[in-house]
Amino acid sequence: MFSQPKRFSRAPAHAMTLIVLAGMLLCAGCGKRKNDSSTSAPRTTAQRSIRRAYDGAPPIIPHKPLKADCITCHSETGQQVPELGFAAANPHFNTSHAGSLSNCRQCHLFQESTELFAESEFVGIPQEITHGSRAYPGAPPMVPHSKLMRENCSACHSGPSARPEIRCTHTTRTNCVQCHLFQEPGENSFAVHQPL
Amino acid sequence: MDRRDFIRVAGTAVSAAAGLGCGTEPAYAEGADKSSLQNVSWDKAPCRYCGTGCGVEVAVQENKVVAVRGDEKSPVNQGLLCAKGYHLPGMLYGKDRLKFPMRRNAAGKLEKISWNEALDLIAEKFQTALKEHGPESVGVYGSGQWTIFDGYAASKWVKGGMRSNNLDPNARLCMASAVMGFVTQFQSDEPMGCYDDLDVGDDFILWGNNMAEMHPVLFSRMLENKRKNPRVRIVDIATRWTPTSDFADMYVQINPGSDLALANGILHLLLANGEINEAFINENVVFRRGIEDLEQIGYGCFDEQSEKYGFKDEAKESSLDELKEFIKEYTPEKVSELTGVSVAQIKSLAQMYGDSARGTVSMWCMGVNQHVRGTWMNNLITDLHLITGKISRPGSNPFSLTGQPSACGTAREVGTLSNRLPADMVVNNPEHRAKAEEIWKLEPGTINPKPGYHTVDMFRALTRGDLKALWIQVTNPWVTLPNLNRFQRKPGDGRFIVVSDIYPTPTTEMADLILPSAAWIEREGLFGNTERRTQHWNKMVDPPGEATEDAWQIMEVAKRMGMGHLFPWADEKNWHEQMYEEYRQFTLGTGKDLASYQQLKEQRGMRWPVVDGKETRYRYAAGHDPYVKKERGVHFYKAKGYGEKAAFWIRPYHPPAEVPDDDYPFWLTTGRVLEHWHTGSMTRRVKELHRAVPAAYCELNRADALALNISNGDKVKLSSRRGEVVLDVRVDGRGKPPKGSVFVPFFDETKLANLLTLDAMDNISKEPDFKKCAIKVEKV
Repeated sequence: MFSQPKRFSRAPAHAMTLIVLAGMLLCAGCGKRKNDSSTSAPRTTAQRSIRRAYDGAPPIIPHKPLKADCITCHSETGQQVPELGFAAANPHFNTSHAGSLSNCRQCHLFQESTELFAESEFVGIPQEITHGSRAYPGAPPMVPHSKLMRENCSACHSGPSARPEIRCTHTTRTNCVQCHLFQEPGENSFAVHQPL
Repeated sequence: MDRRDFIRVAGTAVSAAAGLGCGTEPAYAEGADKSSLQNVSWDKAPCRYCGTGCGVEVAVQENKVVAVRGDEKSPVNQGLLCAKGYHLPGMLYGKDRLKFPMRRNAAGKLEKISWNEALDLIAEKFQTALKEHGPESVGVYGSGQWTIFDGYAASKWVKGGMRSNNLDPNARLCMASAVMGFVTQFQSDEPMGCYDDLDVGDDFILWGNNMAEMHPVLFSRMLENKRKNPRVRIVDIATRWTPTSDFADMYVQINPGSDLALANGILHLLLANGEINEAFINENVVFRRGIEDLEQIGYGCFDEQSEKYGFKDEAKESSLDELKEFIKEYTPEKVSELTGVSVAQIKSLAQMYGDSARGTVSMWCMGVNQHVRGTWMNNLITDLHLITGKISRPGSNPFSLTGQPSACGTAREVGTLSNRLPADMVVNNPEHRAKAEEIWKLEPGTINPKPGYHTVDMFRALTRGDLKALWIQVTNPWVTLPNLNRFQRKPGDGRFIVVSDIYPTPTTEMADLILPSAAWIEREGLFGNTERRTQHWNKMVDPPGEATEDAWQIMEVAKRMGMGHLFPWADEKNWHEQMYEEYRQFTLGTGKDLASYQQLKEQRGMRWPVVDGKETRYRYAAGHDPYVKKERGVHFYKAKGYGEKAAFWIRPYHPPAEVPDDDYPFWLTTGRVLEHWHTGSMTRRVKELHRAVPAAYCELNRADALALNISNGDKVKLSSRRGEVVLDVRVDGRGKPPKGSVFVPFFDETKLANLLTLDAMDNISKEPDFKKCAIKVEKV
């Protein structure tokens, strides 16, 4: 009577799906495969801006629906997907509240059209590079943004898609919050801007 | 990348480039990254869209909203939003915002006029109608999106000033059946439970409720409970497979309209298996039975009966023994035949409701409310909780979800319905009228005792010509009314229609006068959400052009009609607070007590009843509700007419008003999608949301598509006995209707699902059934 709901297993359980999916894409793309290294170029701030209504908004989905669970590719570490490039890691991987975040399309939208219903005059907070304050020169910087939904630090700060400006220099140390403390949410943006 | 995107990133390119070349430690120019974030201030507000009432924090820079973030301090959403919520700022900045009052001239063209001219014109037209045709010839059609201020101003003006009761909200199309469900059973509207049930319940039974798309943040909160507690089960009772079904432990596919039979089938098994809580029933429940004769009740359709659907139910006393006799015929086998649900699944549902060791939460929304027997279905779901004693307990409650941000706070609590007054009072009760007249400082006998038009009858009266002057605020009836072809206007029809809105819509097309309104945080506001939480926000930016808030528009017209005494504080700076404190008097001491204005300004909302500054999570429950004495576990103290007990209503199965036949062989169900809210007048102006779902479409079952030789993306013509519409087909899209069934979202003003729907109504709530009619499907 009761079937096991499919969404609660994590990436490893989907290894089989991934293999099938990768195989599917390889077959479909026979002879036209791009060089993988070119598709795993780091994200740029410009890309980030195009995909978000404002700094802090959830990004739109830049590819077509793939008939696979999102977290198959957007796993804890992210992975190279033939033909499509590097699927960015899921920054919410360790988010513990607010619904286990398994309903990805609650926030992330596929874009089926390039048209507008009506012209818009909205201008959002721009994409900014920010960095946390330090107690003194050489001290570890504090985390300049809120924690919620960004619990998986390595999703943005390491791996092939990390923006160079915020890439971690010491990825072998895994307990980030041992040294980098969260600042209280500030009054400026989703990111906290505090000069030294 | 468009020009604006380029400008947005250009400022950061330099610092990014500088960072790249500097070894392990990026060398940012200190202070450079603060460039464009100067002078940004943040303030709290509830989301503008659905009844969930998520907390957002709004970022304002130079009098413009530039971002929002989920409010981590809000107990509702704890920092999470949905795609609509995250994209709220764009909603305010469509280039076609209405900015000036506009009058339609003799040639049908709109011309800009001054506020003074506009307000004078409304006052004159309403005065003339009142003088020549009486209070029944004027009306206000409002909304569950009205702030409490707007609804209160409208109610006082219409009922206390013009002595009319022709005041109804679009909530009549939305949750009127839930209102009548709670009122018939507890003699007080609104749920006893709250969102905390989502965190602690064991079994969640969703009755015709695509919660993953319609209340996604609450759905995620429930999923979080499930992630932490593997014992949690979710059951999706539905007429089509939706994104909600993807997450359900059990999917129960049901024939449209047969939910009445399914609920009775569950009751049958609970009684047969002795899984009822007799001690609870003896102490807290009375039995009632209403009129059940199908002929006598009818469906209120335009053609079938009189133009006015005024059926009245009559309560007869009943008993548990009578229920046992009545329920005999709802055997699992018979119910299985009516519903299409397997006997095993019916038994499984009965086991869930009957298991006294598990907390059971029933949730529903439009599937149950937009139903020709919606009040009955509300009654039956609550009956399942009354007979098992699973009510007014954390994790065990019947909980109706609401679709508009203040359907509860304004439409239901202020009582902007054609028969209601604030705080559970009604116009046809002399004591209630007297209390309202006292608080409103009116002459005794001012308020009209005769209920006014409910929504569908209001627009029938307008079409007929009985209603001469109508003011529509914050809603879009020429997209949302059922059987829309019935409600078209003819030029020179002698009616006067004013529409207050923020964007041009099919409804402003119908207007003689258009007023530009301030939206959301462009004015101070109060909404009340689904869990009885009243939420305040401050004005954060100025409205565009000459736009003003709806309550102000009403007060100005009232002044011009010699009714300025209704709003003595209208010209004072803090009129919002003064109006609220007057309204609050209706609620104090009634069990619906609202929080003080100061407390609302400080808190992330408060759930009423608020007594001694403390909110209430569970109504009627000892230890939670301050009106319940400790020694009584549960006390339904509002139900004076039932001896302070809850009423279990015996309700039979009735078939839908129209069912598929040889000529029109498909079911049509209409509804929403996650990305668009209601008629899309706001969400379609947000780039990301519009591009996600740019147009309405028609979901078709794969087998039907094959039989009709239709593939994904083909165009089909859907026709009913009332109209037709051409749409693109989706097969195996996000929703998958069963064979013989079609789903169309109603948001698209260029592809109107409501040309097809039937204006059949619930017999008690007068809420139309948008979920069931018969159509045919032809390839174009």
